[in-house]
Amino acid sequence: MIKFINATKKYGRKVVALDNLNLHIRPGEFVSVVGRSGTGKTTLVKALIGEECLDKGQVMVGGWDITRVRQSEVHILRKQIGVIFQDFKLLPNKTLYENVAFAMEVCGKKSSKIRDIVPQLLKIVGLQNKVNRYPHEVSGGEKQRAGIARSLVHQPKILLADEPTGNLDSINADEIIELLLKINKFGTTVVLVTHNREIVNRLRKRVVTIENGTVAHDQVVGKYVL
Amino acid sequence: MISFLRIIRFSFQDIIRNIWLSLITISILILALISVNVLLVLNLVSETTMGAIEDKIDINLYLTQDAKEDEILALKAKITNLPNVASVGYISRDEALVSFRSKYKDNVEILQALRELGKNPLSPSLTIKPEDASNYKGLIAHLTNLDEDIVEYKNFDDHEAVLNKIDAISKRVNKVGLYVSLVFIAISILMVFNSIRMAIYTHRYEIGIMRLVGASRWFIRAPYLVSAVTYSLIGVLIVIVAFFPFLTLLHPYLQAFFVGYEINIFTYFTENFAIFFGLQFIGAALISGLASLIAVAKYSRV
Ligand SMILES: Nc1ncnc2c1ncn2[C@@H]1O[C@H](COP(=O)(O)OP(=O)(O)OP(=O)(O)O)[C@@H](O)[C@H]1O
Ligand SMILES: [Mg+2]
Repeated sequence: MIKFINATKKYGRKVVALDNLNLHIRPGEFVSVVGRSGTGKTTLVKALIGEECLDKGQVMVGGWDITRVRQSEVHILRKQIGVIFQDFKLLPNKTLYENVAFAMEVCGKKSSKIRDIVPQLLKIVGLQNKVNRYPHEVSGGEKQRAGIARSLVHQPKILLADEPTGNLDSINADEIIELLLKINKFGTTVVLVTHNREIVNRLRKRVVTIENGTVAHDQVVGKYVL
Repeated sequence: MISFLRIIRFSFQDIIRNIWLSLITISILILALISVNVLLVLNLVSETTMGAIEDKIDINLYLTQDAKEDEILALKAKITNLPNVASVGYISRDEALVSFRSKYKDNVEILQALRELGKNPLSPSLTIKPEDASNYKGLIAHLTNLDEDIVEYKNFDDHEAVLNKIDAISKRVNKVGLYVSLVFIAISILMVFNSIRMAIYTHRYEIGIMRLVGASRWFIRAPYLVSAVTYSLIGVLIVIVAFFPFLTLLHPYLQAFFVGYEINIFTYFTENFAIFFGLQFIGAALISGLASLIAVAKYSRV
């Protein structure tokens, strides 16, 4: 589903964010990606959604070589990959419902379909009672749920979560992880980038540890080793 | 179709939500358009000035007092057939006297002198208007070669000097006008670019999210292009509405300035209405559209 082959990415001359990184993630996997700050985890995510281009090597998503993906094709890639972030990236002047609907509107989906799907997604993430609230009127966990609902509008094959729990307390964080597991159960490949040792150890799923831009450990049932 | 309507809706929401920024953008477009129109007015004024001066420099052939009417008419026909002659006017002795009298109707002494003289002291003359004022030389050469007994006086030297000077002035005026226009237009374009960039800068977050959730580049740009066209349309309409009253105020001054010369600023603008304002709209839309595209490209990263 996801393949990095000898992926190298430099920022400028000096900073090597990815250094000959090889990684293969199969469909339906739940993979945690851990590592110290500044080791290239976010760069990995950006390379997957076509926001940064590799200097060397290859990235494949579902058999599509996106190493040199054209700007005019990035949107096709992004419909196949849902992404959530530490800072949620919700529009502050739209309600949770509107935020999720917006993602469908800007992709030209029919209004009837939007009215159909958005409530379903909000229900899946447990926000059915808060659809008309604005982001500043809900908790961090609820914002992240809305982010997850939005990331699912195109029924993506892959969900990338870059430190989704970074701004949440442990209870809210656990709930978000539960949600990711649930989404994974429906068949979506989930890549979870995190610093949270407890979560990783409790998951008992594959753990990929990145050090200095390359894969240092890759354990099928992994622990947070650092 | 859904997308199209949605794009229009996005665009209008964007204009309304950021009404102040929209108004600023429109105002700057209006300023730019006004400067273009002022340049058009200046252009007309300078053209009319040049035309008026060139018009004043007809060539006069003074004929002998006893020249016969049929000889004069024959000469007139002959000159009319010369190349680069627009028209030849014949002023008979009587007509010359009439216009002389009316010219000095308030000057008692001159009229008194005329009366004392007892007869018409004026000569008949031919007034030659060249077709193309910038090409006097050839015509003057022809006229110099003219060998007619009834021509009393021909001296074109001073004409040529004056004409050369006018030619030089008019070239310089055009050049300065061109530079001033270019500077003006460059400044206007910069201002339009900047205000559009500012408007889109405030949307960088939203643009980033659109891109993140899989909106195509076209879909991200289109609402801003629609806004750019809307701003341009509103701007041109306001300029049109404001400009004609301004012309009404200006018109009497221009007429007073160009006594005796046809300068109709209204017809200038109404006859060229479609071209002037059509081009201004297209120009404004192109510039602001381009500015939008550049700004969106710049700010479409999360
Ligand atoms: N746009 C950029 N320009 C220059 N250097 C960058 C840029 N983005 C990241 N870097 C550098 O590249 C390296 C890898 O960054 P990256 O964001 O991938 O780290 P990370 O593993 O996500 O860290 P964290 O855990 O703190 O989020 C870091 O040294 C960072 O400073
Ligand atoms: Mg990071």
